Amino acid sequence: MVNDKSIVWLLRVYLLLVFVFIFLPIITSVVFSFNSDRFPSLPLGHFTWHWYDKVYNDPDTWDAIKTSIIVALSASTLATIIGFCTAYTDFRYNFRFKNAYLALALLPPTIPLIILALAMLAWFSKIGLSGQIWALIIAHTVLGAPFAMAIIRLRLQQMDKDLESAAWNLGASEWATMRHVIIPFALPSIISALCLTMAVSFDEFAIAWFVSGLNKSVPVVILEILQGNVDPQINAIGSFVFAITMTLVVIAQLFLFTKKPTNN
Amino acid sequence: MSEGQIVLENVTKNFGGTVAVEPINFEIKAGEFLAIMGSSGCGKTTTLRMLAGLETPSSGEIRLNGERMNELKAHERETPLVWQTLALFPFLNVIENVEFGLKMRGVEKPERTERALKWLKRMEIEQFANRSIDQLSGGQRQRVALARALVTEPPVLLLDEPLSALDANLVVRMQSVLTRLQKELGITFVYVTHSQSEAFAMADRVVIMSAGVIEQIGSPREIYRSPASRFVAEFVGTNNIISGTVNEREKHTITCDTALGTIKSKLDDGNTTHPIGSSVELVISADMIELSQEETFSENEIQIQFVGEEFTGSVVTLYFEDANKNELLVQKQQRDIELLKLTYGSKIYAHWNSIDVFCLPNAKTG
Repeated sequence: MVNDKSIVWLLRVYLLLVFVFIFLPIITSVVFSFNSDRFPSLPLGHFTWHWYDKVYNDPDTWDAIKTSIIVALSASTLATIIGFCTAYTDFRYNFRFKNAYLALALLPPTIPLIILALAMLAWFSKIGLSGQIWALIIAHTVLGAPFAMAIIRLRLQQMDKDLESAAWNLGASEWATMRHVIIPFALPSIISALCLTMAVSFDEFAIAWFVSGLNKSVPVVILEILQGNVDPQINAIGSFVFAITMTLVVIAQLFLFTKKPTNN
Repeated sequence: MSEGQIVLENVTKNFGGTVAVEPINFEIKAGEFLAIMGSSGCGKTTTLRMLAGLETPSSGEIRLNGERMNELKAHERETPLVWQTLALFPFLNVIENVEFGLKMRGVEKPERTERALKWLKRMEIEQFANRSIDQLSGGQRQRVALARALVTEPPVLLLDEPLSALDANLVVRMQSVLTRLQKELGITFVYVTHSQSEAFAMADRVVIMSAGVIEQIGSPREIYRSPASRFVAEFVGTNNIISGTVNEREKHTITCDTALGTIKSKLDDGNTTHPIGSSVELVISADMIELSQEETFSENEIQIQFVGEEFTGSVVTLYFEDANKNELLVQKQQRDIELLKLTYGSKIYAHWNSIDVFCLPNAKTG
């Protein structure tokens, strides 16, 4: 083909533009977090840890980070457990309305966040959970469970159906089979699901803003700082959140894709 | 009279509305190598899975050593299965796979390792003990699967087409491994296969199933030489099945009119079930037919025309037709055929002994 080379170049430029588009704001934020100037402008001032220092010494930020971590750990654990159970149900059993059941399980991400957040707020205030850390944990569990289920289900689909029967056949009860066969087989996807749901929870803003009350999570604090004034410590917090989230996502990807299913 | 080690009594299995297994009855003797053979969907695997407790019979009873097994869960049975897919655990290494059954029975780690190693040695794969499963060849995996199933020293081993994924040369090797193993261990093997050569090469007795029904149970020789039905005669492969009418009978011989001319059949039992005028189906095994360039004027001789051949190793299946385009299969050694100097369309004489003409029992004809 005559146009081969130009198409390749065009695609390369396109790819580059996509990356620039996605990463430039993030990189900018990281760069300015180390910049001594009060306002983000060019040319840059000198290198400084000042903004990180400021964040480090700010108790509000620390509270938010603590809340975020507690919520992320709890919500990701719960979401992964629920996701695993749902995925296993799908793998193991056939029943009427199974498709409806699966659709329902995958529903939360299709609802606009604001609506979900409002509904959660209304519901939590009704049952008296509003403003408690539990509210945020439950909300993020609901948000994360479908992702966990999708990931674990993908892995279980790659499992030879005979593996489970083979374990029974070798004297393993159903619980022993769960412990010694199903969970070990699904382990890469379970770790992956834990990381991803943790990242979802750590990043999530809309619902957190509605239901967190005094237990502010990091994204909520960022917004509050932003509303008050333009302060480069936002860049510092942002870079920190970005680093954590990216690490989680990368770990999730590693477990999801490098561990190729081994079929015999 | 004591009954066999395993007894299936009027066992059936339905899946929803479909019948997978019609009422079947048979016994398996302790220490026997039994093959269950049939084409796919004949109910052979379902029968095996019922023995393993992976399916529950819809009705009837399965007994092991005289005790009803129907309600026993799969993990409570001592009937390990070697799977068609092998179903080795990919996240465990070779020795961990073999130890699995012992671990589930609460055997302590040192004893577990020792017993697993013993079986790896026996299967000649001890050097792979710490390899992962995906680093093994097909034949090695096969041995791991066998070791894993046998490590608990069960009274019965179930095998579900375990050789179907192997190369032809490996199949023959594994067959001898299996036969020797079964003789040495003295335990019962129940072997499900669609392959006649596997079943006939290894089994003491063969059960032939079709559409959920047992067509015949017997030694490979019995099934080969005296098929109980047209289905079996066809399934076993290289048989000529010829329909005809009895027009003459002596004490042990009937003479029949068939499309291929007059054929005499010797009945070993002085059978009285084939009166003159009744229709019969005659089975002539393809390897029992003699070929000659010249007419020999022996009984059961016809002139045929060579129309094709199928080469399968040292044995060749030759296709002939008579003047009316009726097909006749003949099986010969490659070197015998070379002497005949056959070319397409060449005419030749075929004859066979009337003792080698088997007359199918009346009940199952048509």
